[in-house]
Order: sequence, then C-alpha cells, then structure tokens
Amino acid sequence: MGRVITITSGKGGVGKTTTTANLGTALAMQGSKVAVIDADIGLRNLDVVMGLENRIVYDLVDVIEGRARLRQALIKDKRLPELCLLPAAQTRDKDAVSPEQMIDLTDQLRAEFDYVLVDSPAGIEGGFRNAISGADQVIIVTTPEVSAVRDADRIVGLVEAAEKGPPSLIVNRIKTRLVNRGEMLSVEDVLELLAINLIGIVPDDETIVTATNRGEAAVYDQNSLAGRAFLNIGRRLAGEEVPFLGLQDNQGVLDRLLGMFGRRRT
Amino acid sequence: MGFFESLFGGRRDQSAQVAKQRLATVLVDDRYKLTPEMKEQMKADIAAVLARYLPTVDPDQIEVAILRGEDADMLKADIPLRRGEG
Repeated sequence: MGRVITITSGKGGVGKTTTTANLGTALAMQGSKVAVIDADIGLRNLDVVMGLENRIVYDLVDVIEGRARLRQALIKDKRLPELCLLPAAQTRDKDAVSPEQMIDLTDQLRAEFDYVLVDSPAGIEGGFRNAISGADQVIIVTTPEVSAVRDADRIVGLVEAAEKGPPSLIVNRIKTRLVNRGEMLSVEDVLELLAINLIGIVPDDETIVTATNRGEAAVYDQNSLAGRAFLNIGRRLAGEEVPFLGLQDNQGVLDRLLGMFGRRRT
Repeated sequence: MGFFESLFGGRRDQSAQVAKQRLATVLVDDRYKLTPEMKEQMKADIAAVLARYLPTVDPDQIEVAILRGEDADMLKADIPLRRGEG
C-alpha cells in the first residue's frame, strides 16, 4: 500500500506546486510508482509546471462524478512512465469535491502507487481540508518570510487538530547571502518558531524559473541547487538519512535544534 | 530572553532578528487566540486584583506575554511596583 502525502502551506505562492512536481519526479527517478494529484480545483497549475497541459482529457472532478475512470484520467509523464498526474478541473470550484470523495480517490490510488502526492490549494478552507483528508503525512512548505511562517503555523495547528500526525517542513527559497547578513530568517529561526520536523531546505534558485518555463522538473538539471535539494527530500521521504545541503559547516547547531524542537509539540 | 536569543542575538541584530521576535509573539498569541484588546483587558484585571494587596501597582507599566516553552508555554507578566509609596 502506498503513502499519501499532501503538500500544503497556508499562504499562496511559496512553492507548493513546484515542490509537488519535483518531489514526484524525484521519487519516480528513484524507481517508485508515483501519482501526483492537483487538488486546486478551479486553479489548475500542476499540469503546466510538469509540461503536461496538452495531454489532459479528463480531470479529477470527471473521475469523482463518474464521467471517466481513474485510469483514463491519469496522464503519464513525458519521461518517466511510472509517474502519473491527475489534473484538477479548471471550470469547477472546490465545492465540486467532498473530503469523503477525496479519501475514496486517494485510497484507490494508494492501491496502485507507492506514493500519492496531493498538491493542496492555498488557504485553510474547503479545498485545503479536501487535500489533507486522505493524507497519511502532511508536508508544509514555507519561505523565510513573516507572512508565510505565520500561515504555516496556522496550518500546523489545523493539521494536528485533524489528527494527521506531526507535519514535516520544507523551507523554500532560502537566500544564504541574506541570511548571513542577518537580513533573512534562517532555517534555524523558522524551525524554532514552528517547532516541527525539518525534511528539506531548498535554496532560492533561478533554475526553478527556467525549468518551470519549459515545463521540466528541476531535479533533472544536475546544476540546479534547488533540484538537488528536492532529490534529497525524495530520498528522505524514502527513509534515507541525507545531510542537509549547504549546512554542513553549521551541522552542530542544526542537529541540536532538531533534537530540541524536531518533535511534536504540546 | 532565552538560550537561542543569546546564541544568535549577537550575530543577528538586524531585520531577521526583528522578524523572529515579532513572529514569536504573534504565533503564540494566534495560537491562544489572544487579541491585543484581550491583553490590555488582562493587564487591567491583573492590576485590579493586585491593588487589593499592593496599592503601588501601576497598570500602565504591566507587560504580559506568552512564551513558548519545550514542555509547557508560560504566561509571563512583568509587574513593576512604584517605590516609596508603600
């Protein structure tokens, strides 16, 4: 039975969809069978980020309302035959789906795939609740900004209230130079504030822009630092111990922080 | 402040430090659904109760904050007393 992992954030624009596309690709490159679901009904995006927008015939709502079978709606990735996308409906809204229907859908996918990644919409309303309803694990993406961190904390509370277990954190778009000058929250700062497990640190990286322009995942690009960070997160999801990129010189401090704060809070 | 402030505070007294302190306050207030208005009311109520025992409490000088702790969070109240009026 596969694992259902929902990627969410609270605040929009912090990199949920990019994270979902790259993690899905990374896991499939490792040899796993992966389905990625765009749960942002009405604001379909995962398809263009993955370069699959021209192949869509049916979508998630078509499957839920019985116009298409799940197998018909799943779109195979261009390069990786073991990676599939279930696109969001573009002409409907979040009310077209209920949490029970999402649980049913993720259960069907879980039977056939090793990983089911759900790209959540921003916000804390119905769309978000649908997206986490079938999840075994929740990954929260944040950036080192006050607005994103505040929203992430709100999501931590909601995920815990929904009894989804302790969420894991990805700190995205870290600008090391700014952090070193004391002008950007560091990963340690964000971890101390949110007090959840860290699963990834992704540097701010222009290769994400160019890769997304082309509809290709950054994990294919050997020179992409962000791509390497996503590959590492994929390995951590599979249970491997992988040191955090770019923090080797600071490992002692980080380990101590992880030890103190990387556990479920009260 | 605590261990982390002393660990990182010297190195970063710039905008990141300001962001962190503001977030530390707002996150814990969000979590306890404590509004600025409620904090003001709490200070007034604390002063009113203490006035029965300590007439030298100045309600305007009281500071309250919730601090995130590892095992439990703490409500911290700084209540200065006016000297020489007791």
